[in-house]
Amino acid sequence: MQLNHAQRELTVKIVYYGPGLSGKTTNLQMVHQRTSPEVRGRLLTVETHDDRTLFFDLLPVFFSTANGFKVKVKLFTVPGQVIHNATRRIVLQGADAVAFIADSRRAAAAENNAYWKNLVENMKENNLDPAQVPVVIQYNKRDLPDTKTDAEIEETRKKGKEPVVGAIAIRGIGVLETLYAVLQSAFRSLEARAGLTKNIGLGEREFLTQVFANIDVTGTELERILPPRTPGARP
Amino acid sequence: MSQRESVLQRRVTLGAMLDTESFTEVVRGFVELYRVGIKVFDDKGAKLADIKIGNGDFCGYVFSFPEGRRRCTATVGRVKDGPLALSHGARLPVLEPDLVPQARGMLTVPCFTGLRYLIVPIAWEGDQIGRVVFGPFMPEDLKDFAPKTLTEIAEGFDVGNAKTLVGKVRRAPEGTIARVMLHFGQLLQTMLFGGQKMYLTSQLHIEATLDNNRELEERNKRLEDANTRLKELDRLKSAFLATVSHELRTPLTSIIGYSEMLAEGLAGPLNGEQVDYVRTIMEKGETLLKLISSILDISQIEAGKVRLNFEPMDAVELINGSLSSLRPQVQKKGVALEAKLPAKMAMVSGDRDRLRQVIVNLLTNAVKFTPKGGRVAVTLTDVQQQPDLNAPGYRILVEDSGVGIPADQFDKIFNSFYQVDSSSTREYGGAGLGLAIVKSFVEGHGGVVRVASEMGHGSRFTLVLPVTPSTQQHILITPPVTSVSPADDRF
Repeated sequence: MQLNHAQRELTVKIVYYGPGLSGKTTNLQMVHQRTSPEVRGRLLTVETHDDRTLFFDLLPVFFSTANGFKVKVKLFTVPGQVIHNATRRIVLQGADAVAFIADSRRAAAAENNAYWKNLVENMKENNLDPAQVPVVIQYNKRDLPDTKTDAEIEETRKKGKEPVVGAIAIRGIGVLETLYAVLQSAFRSLEARAGLTKNIGLGEREFLTQVFANIDVTGTELERILPPRTPGARP
Repeated sequence: MSQRESVLQRRVTLGAMLDTESFTEVVRGFVELYRVGIKVFDDKGAKLADIKIGNGDFCGYVFSFPEGRRRCTATVGRVKDGPLALSHGARLPVLEPDLVPQARGMLTVPCFTGLRYLIVPIAWEGDQIGRVVFGPFMPEDLKDFAPKTLTEIAEGFDVGNAKTLVGKVRRAPEGTIARVMLHFGQLLQTMLFGGQKMYLTSQLHIEATLDNNRELEERNKRLEDANTRLKELDRLKSAFLATVSHELRTPLTSIIGYSEMLAEGLAGPLNGEQVDYVRTIMEKGETLLKLISSILDISQIEAGKVRLNFEPMDAVELINGSLSSLRPQVQKKGVALEAKLPAKMAMVSGDRDRLRQVIVNLLTNAVKFTPKGGRVAVTLTDVQQQPDLNAPGYRILVEDSGVGIPADQFDKIFNSFYQVDSSSTREYGGAGLGLAIVKSFVEGHGGVVRVASEMGHGSRFTLVLPVTPSTQQHILITPPVTSVSPADDRF
């Protein structure tokens, strides 16, 4: 988090982490598609010729609070290929929360574990306390053959404290739910550390409502949670 | 640990995203096409581009009057550093309705001369990171030039001259200029996006490279430390082995010596059974002594303490000497021992004692693994070019008709303490050091050892040795110790 009182500006950083080809960029592309252009920047992606992320993807989303505080949410992905560990470590710097995109297929368990350990190591390298930085796990590719069953995923969930979201990112399923969960976790962690409600008058509800005010949540679970959206109107 | 704050954590500036030179070219192109001056400033007021057109003479004339200069400076200050808000003389531009939504944030700032400026903020990720100033231009709606605010600046102000000069300034409705500005804004956004991408990725590439280097250096340091530690441990191990072997050998020599004296009756006559027992003590003592010598040899080889002593020698004599020391064992075991040696052979260079030990070790093995009635043969070839060595050399072959060695064990049998049959019930004794010593000594001569074998039919060891050994030192490499971090699987 970067909190600039002089410029009345708060920057929240979310990093999408996970093994190569687990769907991190796809998640960002789907968020980008569903977000209205007034509140987001362009999606910056740097890919190799075979569509592998080379450095990172970046999608900025921004709004102003009722108090006139400028809030920027920066969504980053890391490159998944093993050789890019230094880049992963740099992108992870100063992350307020992490969305860990795992491949649900049974065969991918070893990779998921390896990147989970890599995440923990890189957090430590960046002076981030893995116990303090919230992580949300997305089990992506639920539609592929040989994926873990819901019961198995439930077992995984019980192993840790992280919220777990199922997804088929390529069809947009579970993407916004993951974003919501990771932003909520990030806000709660920042609230505990920096007292955002007290210091800048920004509460969890306003934070989440403002971010999602300009994101089309039609057909997602979020329709139940968020207030009905009036296109073009500011909440 | 990544020490420096990454470029991703920093606020991007307009200057970092734009390549000033090519940006200036784009601005110039626009200015020449639309005949309106363009200035671009970042949020700190630093100028990134400033291309004027048409207004130079007119503004110069106005500027030549002190009051004109004052008013002009004030207007330029307003345009450049004033707030991007409807204050300090700025108003909304007069636009056609379709343009209004896109032209959000655009301002009109009138000049006291009657000319006008349009200002548009440069927005990036919700921030205003700079501004573009268009103008001055002559608004289409301005009917009577020159206004009083201009004519009043000096008594001698020449309206006629001013009219002529202002004729070179582009005349257009505000809406037209606003349209041009919007095009420019779109182009600028595209350039900024490309520029940002280039800037962030190139910076990140540098950061990642530096971080990789740092990590590699740390890893190298750790490896060096581990290597130093291992070398020290290895040295201690060899020193320990050497000391222990020495301490074992000294009392053993006494045991053998006193047994020998007993057996020879120096301490009084012994009966037949007693002599047998004492001889057994002697034989077992000798076996133990050989074993300890082997351990001492291998520990010295591994500690790199063995220096071979090359001198001219007669290979035929070397083999004959080795054979004679083997005869008692051969006779006892009941195997046939044959030697095929050239009648005469040129002198070669080598460490006689070590090579003798090599041949004795091979022959001892051959006899050990060959059953009664079997055959052991040693062959020496004359000196000729050896393709294995790419140099002139000779071969010593030790063959037996014994149990043989499985093909998948050919490499392993040369390792220290390795036994093909390492079970506790194995038939053949030994410490598994003989062949390790053979290999070290032969390679120390710049030679090679080969093995061929057929299970149940025997084995053949071939030594290929150069006439003149190379002086290269044999280097031993200790395998690195890997650390395993015990972390639990999350998935």
